[in-house]
Amino acid sequence: MGSLKRKSIGDSGDEVLPPPKQLRDSAGEGVACVHDVSYPDGYVPEPRSSSSQDLPVPAKEFPFTLDPFQSEAIKCLDNGESVMVSAHTSAGKTVVALYAIAMSLRNKQRVIYTAPIKALSNQKYREFKEEFSDVGLMTGDVTIEPNASCLVMTTEIWRSMQYKGSEIMREVAWIIFDEVHYMRDRERGVVWEESIVMAPKNSRFVFLSATVPNAKEFADWVAKVHQQPCHIVYTDYRPTPLQHYIFPSGGDGLYLVVDEKGKFREDSFQKALNALVPAGESDKKRENGKWQKSLVTGRVGEESDIFKMVKMIIQRQYDPVICFSFSKRECEFLAMQMAKMDLNEENEKVNIETIFWSAMDMLSDDDKKLPQVTNMLPLLKRGIGVHHSGLLPILKEVIEILFQEGLIKCLFATETFSIGLNMPARTVVFTNVRKFDGDKFRWISSGEYIQMSGRAGRRGIDKRGICILMVDEKLEPSTAKMMLKGSADSLNSAFHLSYNTLLNQLRCEDGDPENLLRNSFYQFQADRAIPDLQKQAKDLEEERDSIVIQEEESLKSYYDLLQQYKSLKKDVRDIVLSPKYSLPFLQPGRLVSIECTANDKSGSSFSMEDQVTWGVMINFERVKTTSEDSGNTKPEDSDYKVDVLTRCVVSRDGVAKKSINIVPLKEPGEPAVVSVPLSQINSLSSVRLVIPKDLLPLEVRENTLKKVLEVLSRFAKEGMPLLDPEEDMKVQSNSYRKAVRRIEALESLFDKHEIAKSPLIEEKLRVLKRKEELTARIKSIKKAMRSSSVLAFKDELKARKRVLRRLGYITSDNVVELKGKVACEISSADELTLTELMFNGVLKDLKVEEMVSLLSCFVWRKNFRMLQSQGKNLTYFFTVARYSSEGCQNTA
Amino acid sequence: MRGLQLPLTQTQKVRLQRALEKLESLPSKANSNASVTVADTIPVNYDDGFLKGHGTTELSGEVVATVCGVVERVNKLVYVRTLRARYKPEVGDIIVGRVIEVAPKRWRLDINYSQDAVLMLSSINLPDGIQRRRTAEDELNMRGIFEENDVICAEVRGFQHDGLHLQARSQKYGKLQRGQLLSFPPYLVKRRKQHWHYLEEYGIDLILGCNGFVWVGEHVEAKDEMLVDQADKPDSQTPKTIDYSMSLEGQEQMYTPLETRQNICRIANAIRVLSMLGFIVTVEVVMEVVNLGVSQNMDTHQMLGSEFCVLVAEREAERRSQKKTKG
Repeated sequence: MGSLKRKSIGDSGDEVLPPPKQLRDSAGEGVACVHDVSYPDGYVPEPRSSSSQDLPVPAKEFPFTLDPFQSEAIKCLDNGESVMVSAHTSAGKTVVALYAIAMSLRNKQRVIYTAPIKALSNQKYREFKEEFSDVGLMTGDVTIEPNASCLVMTTEIWRSMQYKGSEIMREVAWIIFDEVHYMRDRERGVVWEESIVMAPKNSRFVFLSATVPNAKEFADWVAKVHQQPCHIVYTDYRPTPLQHYIFPSGGDGLYLVVDEKGKFREDSFQKALNALVPAGESDKKRENGKWQKSLVTGRVGEESDIFKMVKMIIQRQYDPVICFSFSKRECEFLAMQMAKMDLNEENEKVNIETIFWSAMDMLSDDDKKLPQVTNMLPLLKRGIGVHHSGLLPILKEVIEILFQEGLIKCLFATETFSIGLNMPARTVVFTNVRKFDGDKFRWISSGEYIQMSGRAGRRGIDKRGICILMVDEKLEPSTAKMMLKGSADSLNSAFHLSYNTLLNQLRCEDGDPENLLRNSFYQFQADRAIPDLQKQAKDLEEERDSIVIQEEESLKSYYDLLQQYKSLKKDVRDIVLSPKYSLPFLQPGRLVSIECTANDKSGSSFSMEDQVTWGVMINFERVKTTSEDSGNTKPEDSDYKVDVLTRCVVSRDGVAKKSINIVPLKEPGEPAVVSVPLSQINSLSSVRLVIPKDLLPLEVRENTLKKVLEVLSRFAKEGMPLLDPEEDMKVQSNSYRKAVRRIEALESLFDKHEIAKSPLIEEKLRVLKRKEELTARIKSIKKAMRSSSVLAFKDELKARKRVLRRLGYITSDNVVELKGKVACEISSADELTLTELMFNGVLKDLKVEEMVSLLSCFVWRKNFRMLQSQGKNLTYFFTVARYSSEGCQNTA
Repeated sequence: MRGLQLPLTQTQKVRLQRALEKLESLPSKANSNASVTVADTIPVNYDDGFLKGHGTTELSGEVVATVCGVVERVNKLVYVRTLRARYKPEVGDIIVGRVIEVAPKRWRLDINYSQDAVLMLSSINLPDGIQRRRTAEDELNMRGIFEENDVICAEVRGFQHDGLHLQARSQKYGKLQRGQLLSFPPYLVKRRKQHWHYLEEYGIDLILGCNGFVWVGEHVEAKDEMLVDQADKPDSQTPKTIDYSMSLEGQEQMYTPLETRQNICRIANAIRVLSMLGFIVTVEVVMEVVNLGVSQNMDTHQMLGSEFCVLVAEREAERRSQKKTKG
């Protein structure tokens, strides 16, 4: 197409072969970009005339000079070949999309632009509509001019079009996937994969993505699936350089940690950390597992950190600013902190009010009274906005418009704001360095950081963008470096099967779910890992075989015995020392033996005895757990900590917390009281000492320990009298008795074992252990290899088909039945449950309100619990839902 | 006797009767009370709620069948599947049809349905294989692609405001040439995942259209012409100048060997026999009948004779009873 055109225009004689364009680095202009090509197997790139000779008339001229990466990508487009552009958000990827559209329009071809979110589709539609008139929009909400040559749509719509065999499929020459890195999204990523795999064979692609390190891998995949070359244009370039600052909580200044040249400044990073007033010491809320921060609450009588921060930003004229936080609630909460602040002039306020109410006019009068609407306006008027997914769409849109117009100076947003929409600010603030990802608070990944910090710096307005990280806890320089300067997240497949996909594939004559699986990026990535795994396994095997041990057989049996013995000992101890039995004996003054903290971390010794020492018990306390609030925990169930006076070596390493090692009594060290968990106590003796009341002076502690030594030497011959588990502590459990008997049996076995007398036994055992570990690792690698060499998801595919068959969606010959055909058409919610509902007549007699409430449960998954309060008809739904999910479990 | 109109001898008559009786006795256990005629009451559980489907109506508090057929129940939906009725298209069906009219931007096809189906110009891949919008020129050249009385294979795309739409997803759909079109009752076609069969040993394509039209024809290699096209004709400035009819004429000159023609007839006759007897037509059964004919040294024309017909019926009865005992 493109290439046909070009050749016919200027096929003059001189066919100068260009050097193969592998890895051409157009550096030297300051803005480097990397260009690479992936060819499918067996593809011979046809020699083409040097592009400088016969420049075709460009499909579109831009009023500014193109960056190298842009012109490089456009060159590929002119050659009629697919291209993947990987660059930062603000770098100007849209230019490539614009060119592709212009080119298709010139060639009278159709072009499709897909974006992950509706808001982005809408924005791009307006943008393209202004530029080219022949533009249509299709989203779940609206359809405008579906017959236009350039169609903007969400990726989901594009996928369902492909299944339905829309005529657009046969007319589209170029498909533009914006934000293709969305493919790693756990829920929706699969949509991209499916639509790329199913795309018409003869069309070409433009992929626009954030910086991903494995762009080449992605291009290889596209090249393989579609049997066409795919170019990669990658650049790290940012039009507005960034400065990264740290704002320590409780402190009052910014510390530049990464300057605009990308240099990490250790010294000022340390300074920033030193200025940190640790939140944990003043209020111990964090220990309860809740992350209520001083950031939110603020210390009494002081302004909260975020308030100080915003004030400073406004004073230094770093506005507009976007403050990212990771929960909707926190977002609103922070905005409320700003109540005292007013950032707008009077005339701006009037503007805001007009814009706001003209947008709200669409709402009915009742809706205008919603608290969300009424509460928002006063905030907005002061130049403060909130943006998160919980807002009404119309409110979100108004806030976006106000922000673009510069009427909002300070916007509190969640992560969603960082995706797609072109809404940069001068400054970006991270109110948090950790993010809750479903099960724990983890550090923000470098990829997330890159995405969000990409909002800082408006091209052409600001000389540099500013990123501020609010830090409220110590973090290692390496962690910070990882976060601030790490590479972007790589693009990994999040492929998974759904019933809808499966049914759609089964329904059409050419469709084959296995084919889809085989062509998925997931499979591609898995195949790729195999050679690497093979090599690893081989290396490990070699290493294992190089270890030669004499008398391996008997050594091994000895080793096994040892392991058994240890685990039994542990069992016994656990039983005896469980709070149920030991609680009455945890009295002050009792001598206890505790495990030494081994100096070398690897230290699992191979002798029968553990390294123990003695100490005096001072006190014990219950460990507070989060579940304690629920109030009905029995004293036996909770964990206990015991304070013990013993000899310790206290070492401090730098800033980090001091570490305390318990050492044997006779070794050098200072006497100290340490608190150890009950599980670290080895045994309780029956001896109790009288301990002095005041243990603070060092001499007193020293004397006490001397007493302990005296006692020990007195009992040296016959051993310390321990509390007898059965007689003293009244331990009456079968498992205890059984374990004790087995220990006795094992002990006699040890005596018989001749290898135990061998002199180098410890050394040998260590080697043996290493060998065992190697064998285990080889095993796990081999398992991974096996699982990746077979078709990924094969078992799941089988299981899902079985579910469909059992529920009567498909026949045993894989022919889609009536129910299956219905389920095919449901793409946005749980297709099986909904179909079952329909065929069970649940929806038949429902009132409109009931129907709405029932169906809303399907689109809003998070409030699944809501269902329970819905009443009579919905109990039915539960049975059905349970039925189908049980079906899944049974067959899976 | 299934309304057979064959000159049968006395023994043949007895044999056929026995075979048919055997057949009828077999499936009766499966759903004997499920078959209804018009105005039969369909038993439903009123307390539990039910959904009335096609072929049923409510008459003085009872659910009554409005057509003859078999009662089907899917969860709570009750409907009657008719036994002998006109073809009713479903999305995704593979059908064979005949062009009856070339209209603006579309062809109208007879597909054995109560309405004519529509195949849009935009719903097929252009012969040049290039992805582009259809131009007025393409519209003028429509007769070059399909014209009246051409036989076409397509897929049902769905109902739209202006009727039933078809589509041709890939190159393998489209015009069918050098073969026979057979027509028989559509209810004899079993819905399968594949309706498109390439019988390698005979070099023949067999398309069992869901609408009861069957195509038996010489095998054509379905190829994705696109890539070849692009490499071959880089000089053609725009695809507009390509003459569609040229390539088609070139194909027509190709010669179909006599053996293939005979095979076509043989397979076609096998299907005729099956439809005459009212047996379900699947590719396996067809092949069985063909092989039976070969093993009995029947000539192609003898396959339509009464002796073969009786043989097929006996064979089928045997097959089904075997299946029954096995299952």
